[in-house]
Amino acid sequence: MAISPFVEIDATQKLDPFKGVKKIPLEEYFTSGHRTCQGCESALVMKMMVKAAGPRTIVLGSTGCMYVANTTYYSTSWVVPWMHTQLGSSGSAGLGAAAALKAQMRKGKMKKEPINVIAFCGDGGGADMGLGAISASLTHPDYNFLILLYDNESYANTDIQLSGSTPYGAHTTFSPPGKMKRIMHHRWKKNTAGMLAAGHPECKYVATVCMSYGLLGMNCIRKALEIGGPTFVHSLDPCPKGWDYDPYISHELGELAVTTGIWPLYEVENHTLRLLGKTKEIAEGRYVRQPVRDYLMKQGRFAHFTKDDIDYFQSKVDEMWQKWLIPGVIPMMKDVEGDKPPAE
Amino acid sequence: MGRLFAVEIVYRGIFQKTLAKNISRGIVLAASLEGKPGTSFGRYGDSPERNGIPAKYFAIVATDDLTLEEGMAKYEPKEVDITVCVDDTLCKGVESWAWYGLQPINRLTKAGGTLIVTSKEPPEKLMPMIHQKQDPYKLAVLKGIPSFSGLWVYKDDHTDVRILGAIAKLLPDMLKLDSVKQFILHEWNDAVKVQSATNSYNRITAQNVSPSQGNPEKPFQFELLKWHEMRDGVSIPCIAPGHKMDDPATHATGGFQPARNPTFKKWSTRTMRPVIDFDTCIKCTLCWLQCPDSCFDVTPEGLYDANMEACCGCGVCEAVCPVKDCVTMVNEVAFKDNSSQWEAWRKNKDTYNTWLKGTIANKADRSHGFRYKGQYEEQTPEMLEIAKSS
Repeated sequence: MAISPFVEIDATQKLDPFKGVKKIPLEEYFTSGHRTCQGCESALVMKMMVKAAGPRTIVLGSTGCMYVANTTYYSTSWVVPWMHTQLGSSGSAGLGAAAALKAQMRKGKMKKEPINVIAFCGDGGGADMGLGAISASLTHPDYNFLILLYDNESYANTDIQLSGSTPYGAHTTFSPPGKMKRIMHHRWKKNTAGMLAAGHPECKYVATVCMSYGLLGMNCIRKALEIGGPTFVHSLDPCPKGWDYDPYISHELGELAVTTGIWPLYEVENHTLRLLGKTKEIAEGRYVRQPVRDYLMKQGRFAHFTKDDIDYFQSKVDEMWQKWLIPGVIPMMKDVEGDKPPAE
Repeated sequence: MGRLFAVEIVYRGIFQKTLAKNISRGIVLAASLEGKPGTSFGRYGDSPERNGIPAKYFAIVATDDLTLEEGMAKYEPKEVDITVCVDDTLCKGVESWAWYGLQPINRLTKAGGTLIVTSKEPPEKLMPMIHQKQDPYKLAVLKGIPSFSGLWVYKDDHTDVRILGAIAKLLPDMLKLDSVKQFILHEWNDAVKVQSATNSYNRITAQNVSPSQGNPEKPFQFELLKWHEMRDGVSIPCIAPGHKMDDPATHATGGFQPARNPTFKKWSTRTMRPVIDFDTCIKCTLCWLQCPDSCFDVTPEGLYDANMEACCGCGVCEAVCPVKDCVTMVNEVAFKDNSSQWEAWRKNKDTYNTWLKGTIANKADRSHGFRYKGQYEEQTPEMLEIAKSS
């Protein structure tokens, strides 16, 4: 892609992909003693995110579980520098920190070196409230930072209110199933990563990850940091509290989200789309998508589903795979013109 | 002035939230049928709750309005007539959201008050876990498997009404069995639940606990900075980088042990702990990599030792381990300390492996919430049988 001569790009850290689980460094930069739930996959994302980024990293966190539970009164689990930012401002904070580092180094107030800047947000802070700021920040090619959205599909910190990322039909504090009306949340989940990839030509890297596939996820984060400019990674995190399941199956639910085709894994690197892992195998016909029932019926938030509800959910996932212009990524139908020819 | 009664319900966050609410609410509504006003509330400092992290509900009942108002003019009661502990592993102490350091389960139980524990274990097995208390009090065990479910789907195994029946027996001045029965019929219209409460009323017994009984250890405490001692910008130091590990047998160094948050250990969140067969471990890294709490120390020979000061017992390590019986989750009640399994194994492999086999063979079944639809329906008959017969 052509780059304007007026854009000043700084070097990034060299972050080659980890060649296998045994090559992952032993050092932890997000450690024990956070007050998250048993089996919290978002805490796992924090751990793997900074493990992938390494010690020369600054992390900024907008309000949410990963702020509140990890830094309760005068205590922390972070080994790298970490700062809290407001609920909707992970984009602004990431951009601001990257710009500040750039200015400090230009003025000679800091040693010139590439420092990773990662701003994380939950689905409430990122996919809902902070979306405008994230969008704005992804238009700035001069600054190197990563925005990581950890998506547990609700406002989990404040006891599970519905967000734009909550899946169809899920039980939340805002959508309790009732006797008269069983399905209180009837909107399909927002397609945040696809939207940000499609809408930001200056952004060189967007990926979806799930840390049940930890090595793949960490390598996506390394690539996002190395490629430079503003980048975005969206992680799906099973949440034992809000999804209502035994923490023992946290890892399995992450795998099921991918193998059922509900959560496609992909990266958009320099505007080239690449499906990853099991998602790639599904697309190439080497792996058969599992029925969504296997995923839904393991979670208390879907316990009220009838067969019809499961069928509807399955039909929407089938639609993602069979009708979307790019399966699982861009929700525009390929056959729109064929079905309904434009009026002549 | 009239008389004020206070009951606290100590429970596992989220897992037992509905259970604790049912008990607390039940106390207040049943007492109101006798003309006693009351109020039921969750401790503010425990919110937002997390799965497994200990939390509290309080039920306050008075003989008249003025006494209740006086009792409510406090953030939380300083002492309670009854402490209800709905999971026996909480007997080891409580490190909650609302508090730094470990608190004994009986801290608020007043002299002559009663601690009710739901457990499959007999009192003599629970006693060594419970910290010593200066004043004598009573211990009552409600037999049963600790009831765990989740935020949305409730496991209705009658633990709630059985506790209410037990309270009516142990503190009749606050609550009579008739009011409990009336409340249950009004709330659930279920004669079997009434019978469960009545059975528990008839059979619960409490034994005296003297100041010399129990765990003599002093619970750990932390002194945190006061507001006037804080640094500029409300900043605190990061956790230090970790260090290599030392082999107790050969004194070889290697591997990695992370430094950890010194003021929150998280082990009191644990209800089960992983026990590890180091001889069958294939060093695949998965338990270490997938642990959300970074609790595995990497030993010089590349094994993974779950650090029991940091492990909160989620069970993900057992779930991801590809080797049969290499990582096994065992009921926390079976353990007396948090020492390193790897060090024990390095010192004497035969002794360790004998211990390991015995521990795994005697592991008690625990259930930590929803794994599939229909699971609670399969699990409740066992508990209802206990409610009927013991």
